[in-house]
Amino acid sequence: MINLERETAVEKAERSRNGTIFLVIFIVLAFLVTLVFFKYIPDAAIDYADINEHFKYGSIGSESVNGIPFWIWKVLPDMFPEKLPVAGKGYEGFGLIQEPDKETPVGFSVRRVIIDRVGMNCALCHTGTVRDTPQSQPRIISGMPANKFDLQAYARFLYACAKDPRFTPDNVILAIEQRKKLNPMDKLIYREAVSRTRDVLIAQAEKVSFMDSRPDWGAGRVDTFNPYKVLQFNFPMKDDKTVGTVDLPVIWHQRPREGMQLHWDGNNTSVEERNKSASLGAGVTPPTIDLGRLKRIEDWLLDFPAPKYPYPINEELAAKGEQIYKRTCAACHAFEGELVGKVTPIDKIGTDRERLDSYTYELLENQNTLYAGYEWRFKSFRKTNGYANMPLDGVWLRGPFLHNGSVPTMRDLLEAVEKRPKEFYRGYDVFDPVNLGFITNVPEENGFEFFYFDTTLLGNSNAGHVYGTTLSADEKNALIEYIKKL
Amino acid sequence: MADDIIFEPLKFRNLEVKNRIFRSNISGKFDNYNGIGTQTRINWETKFAKGGVGAIISSHVPISIRGRILTNYAVIDHDDKIEFWRKVGESVHEHDCKYIVQLSHGGRQQDVGGIENAMHKALSSTSQTDSFHGLLCQAMTRDEIKMVVQQFADAARRVREAGLDGIELHACNGYLINQFLSSAINDRKDEYGGSLENRTRFLLEIMAAVRKEVGDDFHFQVKLSAEDRNNALAFWEKKGNVIKDTIQVAKWVEEAGADAIHVSMGSTFPHPLNPPGGFPIEHAGRSYGSMIPSGVYTFRNFLLFRYRLLRPIFNFLWNRTKPDQVEGINVDEAYEIKKNVSIPVLCTGGFQTASYIRKVISDGMCDGVAIARPLVANNDLVLSFAAGKDLPEKPCTYCNKCLVHAISDPLGCYELSRYDGDYDRMVAEIMQVFTDGAVTN
Repeated sequence: MINLERETAVEKAERSRNGTIFLVIFIVLAFLVTLVFFKYIPDAAIDYADINEHFKYGSIGSESVNGIPFWIWKVLPDMFPEKLPVAGKGYEGFGLIQEPDKETPVGFSVRRVIIDRVGMNCALCHTGTVRDTPQSQPRIISGMPANKFDLQAYARFLYACAKDPRFTPDNVILAIEQRKKLNPMDKLIYREAVSRTRDVLIAQAEKVSFMDSRPDWGAGRVDTFNPYKVLQFNFPMKDDKTVGTVDLPVIWHQRPREGMQLHWDGNNTSVEERNKSASLGAGVTPPTIDLGRLKRIEDWLLDFPAPKYPYPINEELAAKGEQIYKRTCAACHAFEGELVGKVTPIDKIGTDRERLDSYTYELLENQNTLYAGYEWRFKSFRKTNGYANMPLDGVWLRGPFLHNGSVPTMRDLLEAVEKRPKEFYRGYDVFDPVNLGFITNVPEENGFEFFYFDTTLLGNSNAGHVYGTTLSADEKNALIEYIKKL
Repeated sequence: MADDIIFEPLKFRNLEVKNRIFRSNISGKFDNYNGIGTQTRINWETKFAKGGVGAIISSHVPISIRGRILTNYAVIDHDDKIEFWRKVGESVHEHDCKYIVQLSHGGRQQDVGGIENAMHKALSSTSQTDSFHGLLCQAMTRDEIKMVVQQFADAARRVREAGLDGIELHACNGYLINQFLSSAINDRKDEYGGSLENRTRFLLEIMAAVRKEVGDDFHFQVKLSAEDRNNALAFWEKKGNVIKDTIQVAKWVEEAGADAIHVSMGSTFPHPLNPPGGFPIEHAGRSYGSMIPSGVYTFRNFLLFRYRLLRPIFNFLWNRTKPDQVEGINVDEAYEIKKNVSIPVLCTGGFQTASYIRKVISDGMCDGVAIARPLVANNDLVLSFAAGKDLPEKPCTYCNKCLVHAISDPLGCYELSRYDGDYDRMVAEIMQVFTDGAVTN
């Protein structure tokens, strides 16, 4: 049927006027939405062209769920200086590496998730420093253990801040505005963010409070799987008294490690799965892991070589040492060794078994449900009965030694157990080329108190791995000289 | 009364009025939708004649349906309307009262155009919509101007044929002729726009055409706005014509053969200064709904009037130029015009105090006064003056409720305080105009 209805003159005018009004409203709204979108862009990571910068500061996706709003994180040292280990040093006091002109120390990424948030990345635990002498500038070495960083102390600082009655939206916003003026929208968001951050940190502190009854980790160490049990799976820790604290490992040159039994106890043979598992520890979740940016790091690490020993080597002595190495160590520790990347049973290796026992079948079963629904669902975790034989590339940077970091230097490791130091200090980064390792008898430097390591505590035993202890002094010297070259 | 100047006859060139009080232009929606008059209109006009006014100037009488302001107002667009207007005249004349027809074309100020006008825009000097109601319009072509000029002339002829006493051209208050005169509204680039002379051309052409039809011996007056004050409500608008311009127009009008000038104010209707007084916004909220389909800003206005929280916005705009004194608001301007012309000058604007009226006429400020609202409130105002009263017992409060109700309700006094709060009595009095002569059992 033909519509014979006509519009009145006013209706016609209003139609075009309404169209104009809607167009104007649409344009204004679109402008505002665009403005808000770019200001509060839902998910935007910072990218670094340089791969090493990406490794140190790039995002792996840990900010979205477990990240701390940037400005809250930034002002915590301002608000609670009394809780810091070293006065006036901010987060550096925890052994973090602060490079000039960087917003964060190494190992922290900033990603815009509505607001800028700070997350952790691989470099936090896998970048360390070496000094030639106490007066030298530290050289920052990607891929080595974060030998100075006390992760547990850092976490405890965050928890203590969250529990402090002064940690209120008003106070935090006041502190932020000492550094940066917030617009009303930011203030509104931060008001909510402070409360949520506080709640999450307090809840997390409660979950990991079981750690308080166990020996502290100290610099360069982490209990890999016990916090994992509560943070990922809410395991009750009432009956689990294990101490799983181990040295932070090196992560360079991964290609030849594929298929080896990875982790200290060799519980996984997939480099990729091991990486994703470690990422969970840094704060990613299965939906928020940034696989693209993580892969960039993984690809780089495949062939990223261990740094060469930078100090003089007595080549003649080293040549002698090489023979000893081949005879005594290579089977287990050379890439081509027949036992490398395989587990030596605990009875045979004789080192502290706490870490081995902390990894349980219950955890394994639960771990193999992680990333369910994704192609990369975990399937490679296994329970073992000992500790894996590690390749020794870049071993000069890997002291203290053994899985739990209980033996200060290579020379100490070649000593009989009873002759190994019963106590020493961790976290000092001045190199000891004679004994091969870091100097471990310095308790304090410029306000930094180093971690007192007591080998008598649970999980800290320096026993086991007695290979090479019966070599003569000359042989040991030669062996150490050669090992520097690995 | 013997020496009372109010009751001295006013002699125009072609008309003598028994006293100085004119019923100014006012009526209600009393007539048929199509513009044919009714007994109610006759009743309306007659009651003022009975009340003793010297002459009645009709409310706006459209010369064409296109030029109507509201529906249900009697028009004079065709010879078939002559008989009705003759009856109006006869009824008024019975009371020794003269009847002057105000010939009108609303132009863009067409409040409710009716179904006949719904599909096209109103005619105007401009294509710019007005800033108050957003009433649509289009600038008239030369042919349309010629047509409208002729419509005025034809309507004037009908007035004379109907035996009425004179014509007033509605050239003020923002209606069509004012839309040409006003420098704030007229944006034409042709010979009808630009200079004052050009802007007056349309008025003078109408006058010439009217004179040609009715001859030189028929009373013919022109109602002018002394000043446009076009920015009184919408402060962003241009100010428009000032008194100097209007004096010049009045001189040209006199030269063109006008017998009198009737002085009003403002280039819109209503206007914060005309009719002077209040703006009863809550009453506007009740009646303005009928105007919503008429303009592109009318719904906005309705919301402004209807919703308590929005009212302060409109009240602020309306009241910022509100005068302190209502009665005689245009007297100074009337006087300025009177000094420059030799024909009588009538003045409108809130008059209802005998002593004050006496004074302004005695002082030569004007020759007579035209009254609308105070006469609606007190139809016998002139008789009360004759009886020696200076001010009625219940005078007009200038509340303007009559004004805002006129859009959709019968005209009458809606000031409840004048009925001692008795709403039924108020309604009965308003409705009385429908009763006389009505066909009932």
